[in-house]
Order: sequence, then structure tokens, then C-alpha cells
Amino acid sequence: MSQFRLTQTPPSLNPPSDRMVRVKINGIEVEVPNGENIIESAKRVGVDIPYFCYHPRLSRGEAANCRMCLVDVYMPRKNPDGTETLAKMPKPQTACTLPAAQGMVIETESEQVVRDRKGILEFLLINHPLDCPICDRGGECPLQNNTIFYGPPTSRYIEEKRHFPKAYPLSEYVVFDRERCIHCARCTRFADDISGDAQLAFLKRGADMEVGTFAQTAYRSKFSGNVIELCPVGALLSRTYRFKARPWDLHTQKSICSRCSNGCNVKFDYRLEQLLRVNARVNEEVNEEWTCDRGKFGHDYVSAPDRLKTPLLKRDGEFVPISWTEALDRIVEQLRQAGSNVGGIGGQRCTNEDNFVFQKLFREVLGSNHIDSRLGRYQGPVNRPLFERFGYHGMGNRIADLENMKTLFVFGSELVDEQPIIFLRVRKAWRFKGASVVNAVTRVEEETTKVADFAEVNLIYRPGTEMALLLALAHVILHEKLLPKNASTSALAQRVGDWTPARAAAETGVAAEDIVRAAHLLVNGPMAILVGRAITEHPEFEALVEVLGDLVVATGNQGNLNIPGTECNTQGAMDMGVLPDVGPGYRPIDPPGMNTHRMLEAAASGQLPVLWIVGAKLVENYHDADLARRALENCPFVIVNELRLTETARMADLVLPAASVAEKDGTYTSCERRVQRIHKAFDISPDIKPDWLIFTEVAAMLGGTPYFSPRDILRDIAATVPMYAGISFRSLGDAGIRWEYPAGDA
Amino acid sequence: MATTENGPGALEPRPAPPKEQRFSLNAIQELEEIASHYPERKAACLPALWIAQREYGGYLTPAAIQEVADRLGMSYAEVEGVATFYTMYNLRPRGRHHLEVCTCLTCAVMGAYDVVHELERALGIEVGGTTRDGEFTLSEVECLDYCGAATVVQVGDRYFTHVTADNVLNLIEELRQSEEYTPVKLADAIVKLHLPGSSQTGGGSRTGEQIRNNELY
Repeated sequence: MSQFRLTQTPPSLNPPSDRMVRVKINGIEVEVPNGENIIESAKRVGVDIPYFCYHPRLSRGEAANCRMCLVDVYMPRKNPDGTETLAKMPKPQTACTLPAAQGMVIETESEQVVRDRKGILEFLLINHPLDCPICDRGGECPLQNNTIFYGPPTSRYIEEKRHFPKAYPLSEYVVFDRERCIHCARCTRFADDISGDAQLAFLKRGADMEVGTFAQTAYRSKFSGNVIELCPVGALLSRTYRFKARPWDLHTQKSICSRCSNGCNVKFDYRLEQLLRVNARVNEEVNEEWTCDRGKFGHDYVSAPDRLKTPLLKRDGEFVPISWTEALDRIVEQLRQAGSNVGGIGGQRCTNEDNFVFQKLFREVLGSNHIDSRLGRYQGPVNRPLFERFGYHGMGNRIADLENMKTLFVFGSELVDEQPIIFLRVRKAWRFKGASVVNAVTRVEEETTKVADFAEVNLIYRPGTEMALLLALAHVILHEKLLPKNASTSALAQRVGDWTPARAAAETGVAAEDIVRAAHLLVNGPMAILVGRAITEHPEFEALVEVLGDLVVATGNQGNLNIPGTECNTQGAMDMGVLPDVGPGYRPIDPPGMNTHRMLEAAASGQLPVLWIVGAKLVENYHDADLARRALENCPFVIVNELRLTETARMADLVLPAASVAEKDGTYTSCERRVQRIHKAFDISPDIKPDWLIFTEVAAMLGGTPYFSPRDILRDIAATVPMYAGISFRSLGDAGIRWEYPAGDA
Repeated sequence: MATTENGPGALEPRPAPPKEQRFSLNAIQELEEIASHYPERKAACLPALWIAQREYGGYLTPAAIQEVADRLGMSYAEVEGVATFYTMYNLRPRGRHHLEVCTCLTCAVMGAYDVVHELERALGIEVGGTTRDGEFTLSEVECLDYCGAATVVQVGDRYFTHVTADNVLNLIEELRQSEEYTPVKLADAIVKLHLPGSSQTGGGSRTGEQIRNNELY
């Protein structure tokens, strides 16, 4: 269990209200919400107030410890004769803590303010080493920028500065240079407010003060990379990017993180075909401005030295490089021989365009419905558990909606690992909006942040007893009559039987009173359920989803059952119809083809002459690894599209070098059905092809119509898939579009 | 003051220190009593650290900080931040008697530095050091708010007044004879102040009688 429990933050004492007030900033009159920070009001009229410590997303955003945002303030005062005059506050005020009020007049460029800022900067620079030439932050550093525009030209400080070791390895990914720190407290507040690790704090005081961890232990966080971007100086730096480039030498391309299904908006910074760092892009609907460490540091595969750069053909058990012409000839020859008896697996990590052409090649050119993107244990009809009942696949809620829930039920998910950005939303709902969280997991890890740290009730059950736990929760809800009379509880009532908390306690190992407490929270709506891998990989997946469905119906939370996918385009691959039983847009296919498992079984028994695997690590990750291995051994011709020579690729007969997320255009669809654009940044090698191009070339050689670009494919998708109607590269913009099911479809 | 605990030196993060549970049953009861005075347990951090300083033998080990954090539901880093902020919490072992000589204006005029130098000579240590036998630690401190009786030397929860270079060796001898472990006694006295039944508070006024009897509080 967690050793500490951060408290919820009460709403700010002076929240901006709906009432508007008029303030005057540098002579410009503007109407702003009553109580808004003047620093934000100034942004509205384009007046620049410099700051370091203020950050709108951190509570105590009003830290006011850098003192950089000083402004002169005048307030109207009534005279005895009824007239009004402006009275100046005797000292300059920090704009980041100054709530806007009616008639307030702000001066940001008065003689006193200009002089004070110079003084503040001179103080901040006293202990700053000014080693900008070797600082990664040089060129994009708020301290540099503010010094240029507001600072004194020289320093009067001639004494010895503070000295610390230069690159203290704070965490796996972050190095810390204490000499450069200006004590703004952004990183410590991030650790408290956002990620919840609370491992960073100010130690000592006065001139000795420094940021540190407890007893010099490592800073362990799944979100540690964010402090690098938050740091307004070069004190917190990336270990992977350190000394790799100067910021002005980098090219930047907008993209989407490829490491999980949440669809974080990121920027790829690259130079000379090397992806050097990944920074967050603001998208209020998805990641706000955060990234997880997996996304921020987990894209090293893009520029890895062992990337495949040419097609490889296996001859006598050894891979030999061959030309694309030869590779395509081989594929076409094998496909011609096999006819429609070919199988395709994968696509969860490819773009929508790749997937659309993938299934089109199989269905329309080869005439095979044996195509499946799913690698999980549940491979039944895709519409069965959720769509037939509630009319959606995957997530019913938008990620941003989760923060408005009163209760969040995280069931069978190690959320911080499986869905890091959803985890941050859940935590935000708890910390800033007062939601309560019920957490049901099989085990709780020590050390880093997790839902268990802030959950109101933790139900730690024995693996395999999910159903008993769920039914006991329902039992309490029904038998204690926690729901209003008109709630539709009949479906649930049929199921619960005699699963009393006491009986479930014996079965699951959860204390009966915890089950009762959890049940009392679940009826406190709006409530949303987040389901994780323990459920999606459960042998009784469908039955569990049925009960969860009954639960959301009974508690009046239809549409709040969420089963987010796992990979960056799990959702898109399904939308594009890379499924045996439905085509693009979930149109039923008759007869359905074989699913992944049956394809592997057929291949293992030598009945599938050609198997095409697209970016799927079957041998590594498939739940029946032995079957996957036998399938690859016994299938006469296995084609694998991969970035690197994975274990699965090693067992193939032909390996095709595929383009990574940074090397192609296209769209991903995140777990909340948000279609977002990825942009091509660079080419690593001319012989690496995006998957769609491989498929379209094969299709053309077999007599199909070729596509010319991802834009071309997306145009076809928009015309074919009803949910994607109207979507184009242009209409997606930077924030993407979350598609809705056409009305009446459910 | 040069500190080395977290300062320059070690370059790699260290493994987490082992946890301990050294709070006695009585200490736990005291902590719960104090925590019940506040709306949040976190608010009892300072007295809890005093309890820890007493229970862990006069100084706060990393394990002591962890135990306080665990008992109050705070993060380790936050408690360490508090413990390193205030100078009266010891992060290293002190001698059995911590001699804190006031060298502020009045005491300095009255010969405080002669006292300091005499102590350094007699004990064979410099200011900030601890004798080999672990009996004495010597510090210079700022004004102890007792100027009328300069020079003042604080040892644990007691003030010794009118100390001079001539009589300070008697004080040393007196302390050597005593069986108290004064950092622990000081911690205990401060903990007691937070508990009901204590009529005194830290900044209370003192009678002339108390001053003459060298009684703090």
C-alpha cells in the first residue's frame, strides 16, 4: 500500500466567476472574469508580463515565489465628495496572485516596475552559473529570454557562487543541475498536483535551499519527463537528449504518440534523420500538455541503429537482403498460388490508411476475409459485448469528460501503465474536482504513483474472482436499496443471486465492509467505469461486460462503460474493418473469416499457405505463444512488416522494412475515437516503405486500383466509412476530430 | 553552515534507506493526541518530528523521517523538507550535551568569544565539532533572548547564565557528572509542551525566580 496520501485541493479561494469586470492594462481597457489572474488578463490584450513560477495548470498556480511578474496597481477610491480617484498600491504586486477587480488599472512598464524587474533578475542570476553555451536549454530558455528583455546588462555580484555537482541523475530520464535552479517550485508542484509522486521537495532554507528527493533516492515517476519541459531554466534536463543538439538546429513536426491508445499530441524534434526528443503539444481534450515517460522517451526505436533498411528473404535459414522488386514479385507469386486462402494479422500500430488498404487488399483483391487486428484473448464478434447493447465500441466517454464524474470505478486495470493519460485525468478528477475513485485490482505495486494512492476504496481481489466481486457490489446496491425506485434494475437483479458481501469476501479475499463501502460510492453518479487488461484478457470477458453493462444501466450511467484499447490505433484498425466479421465502418461481412487464433491454428496445422503479419509481435506477446511459434514454423510463407528484426520477424520467410510513425503521413484513431493526424518528419532510408504503399503496390500488381497517397486513401475512407464522413487532412486540424456514431445506428 | 548530508559529494541516487518502527506505545499515543488538535494530520508534522527526535536518540535518521511520514500520511520528501528547514532538528548525531553559546551582540560584549575559545581549547574541538567521546558538541548561536544574563549557554532545555571563560570549565565538569542525554531531554520537553496539562508555552514569560534558578520555560 501507499505510504502517503496527498490531500485533495480545495477549490481556489478566489475562482474566476461569470461576472465580468473592466480592467485597464497599459491603457488598454478589457473585460475579464471577476477574479481572474492579471497575468491571464494581460495575455488577452497581448501585454507581456514575464514570469517563471506561475503555471496555469498547477494548483497554487499562485506560487509567487519568483517575483518576476511585478506590476503597478491602481484601484479606484471614492472621495468624500462622491468623486472617484485612482489610488496606487504602495508597492508593486505579483500579477500571478492578483485577482482582477472592477476598475483596476495595471501598469506593466512604469519606471518602478522596469527597475524592480531588473533587480529581481539580478537576484535570480546571483547563483545561476550562466553556463548557457553548454546548456541544453540555451536558445529556448525563459531565463535567457527574460534577461534579454527585462534584465540588467551587468551583475554587481563578484562573490563565489553556489557550487553543486553538474549533472546529478535525478531519475532514469532526468538529470538535475542544482546550480542553475532558480527555486520556482514548478517541478515540486507538478509532482504533488499532477503526477502524484510527491517525491520532489525543497530541502533546507535560505541560501542553502535546493530541490531534492528524500535521502537522495532516485525520483521514480511514470511522468518524470514533464518536469524537463516545465523547468524555466536548464536545471532539469533529459538524459537522452543532453548535448545532442542545439534547439535552433532542430526541425519540428507535429505528431501523435505511438506508445499507447490515448493519442497524446506531441512534437517530434529531429535533426539529420535522427529523432532527438519528443515534447508535448497542447490539446485540452486529450493530454492537456503532459506526456508520460513511455511516450516521451519510448520513441528511440524510430532512429535505432538496427532498423530494417531493406527487404530480407530467408534462404536456407539465413536472411539475405533483396530488392523491393524481387520482394514484391515473391509476394505476388505466393498470393497467386494461395488464392483466397491467405491470412492477415495485425494493424493496431499502423495508421488508418495502412489498415484500410490492408483490408481492401485482402477482401477485394485476394477475396479473403481472414483478417484480424486483435491479439487479445477475446476474439469473438466485435459488436457483441458493447455495441449491440449501447451502440459504441471501446470508450463511451471522452477522456476530458472523465474529470467531471463524481465517481470513477477503475476495474482490473493498472491504469498508470495501461492508460497513462487517462490516469492523469482520473487523478485530476479526484484532486481538483472532488471525485471519488473505487479501485479494483489484483495487486498493488509499491513505489510509483498509482490509482491505489488516492482511491477511496481499494478492492484487492484474487485473480479470477472478478465476477464474484462484481456481483457482490451489485448485491449490496440492490439489497440495501441504494437506487431510486424507478431505476431499471431487473437485469441486474436476475444475476446477483446470493452473492452477499460475506460470501464474496471469502471468495475474493476483499473485506466485506470494503465491498459495501465501494457499492455506496458507485451509486453516486455520474459514475464512469474504466476497464483494464485484467477484464479484457479474462476468459469470461463477455459475461463480465454484460454485468458491468447492467450496472451502468441500473445506476443510470448508460454510455459510461469504457474499455479503452491498448495500442495507438487499436480503435482505428477496428474502424477500418481489420476484423474477420465486419468490414470498414462495422458493416457485417458474410461469411466471416477466421480470427487471429483460428488463423494461427490453421497455419500451425499447415492449412494456411500465406500469412501476412503487420507490425504484430505474436511470438513475444500473444497469450498462446507456443501456438504462435508453431504457426510461424508450419506456415509455408510468412510475410512480416516490421521496423526491426523482432523475434516474430526472425521466424518469417520475408521481412519488409516498414516506416515508423515519424516517417509517414496518416491518421490514428485514439481510444476515445479521436482521429488525429501524424505528419511525416523524415526518411531514414529510401528503401523503407509505409505499409499502405506496400499493400497498394501488391494490390496494383494483382489488378487492383492503386492509391497514390494517404490523402487519397483518406478521401476513400471518408466516402466508405460513415463515421469518417467529412474527415480530411484539412478538417482534422491540430486537435483532431472525435467521431460519433451516426444517429439511430444503435 | 556547511552541510554534507545532501550537498556535494555522492553523485548517484542512493537506495531507499531501510524502514524502522521505533515509536514506543507512549509516543504513538502522544502523536495521536497531538494530531487530534488539528483538522489535518499533516499539521502535526513539527511535534511529530520532535517525538521522532526523542525516540531515535536525539537526531533524525532517514528512518525517523520515514516513520513520521508514514504515521502522518505525508510524503517522505515533504517531511525531509521540513526537517532540513528548521535548525533545531538534528540530522546527525550530536554529543550527549549540545553546548550552544550565544555570540550575539550582548553576549559578545560580555566575552562570549572567550568562552567559545576556552571551550574549543578544553574540549579539543572547533565550533560545529563533537568530542571523540561523544560527550559534547559545540555551536555558536544567535541571540537566545536572555541578554540580561550574558553570556548565555544553552544545553538541551536549560540555559546557563553569566558564563565566563573562567567558570565555563566548571560547567563542563557539571555536565560530565550529570547522567542526562540532553538532546533527548530537550525533545521530550518540547513534546510535553504540545500535550494537554502543560501550562507553559514556548514563548511564555518567566519570573525572576525562574531566571535566577536557570530554568527555561
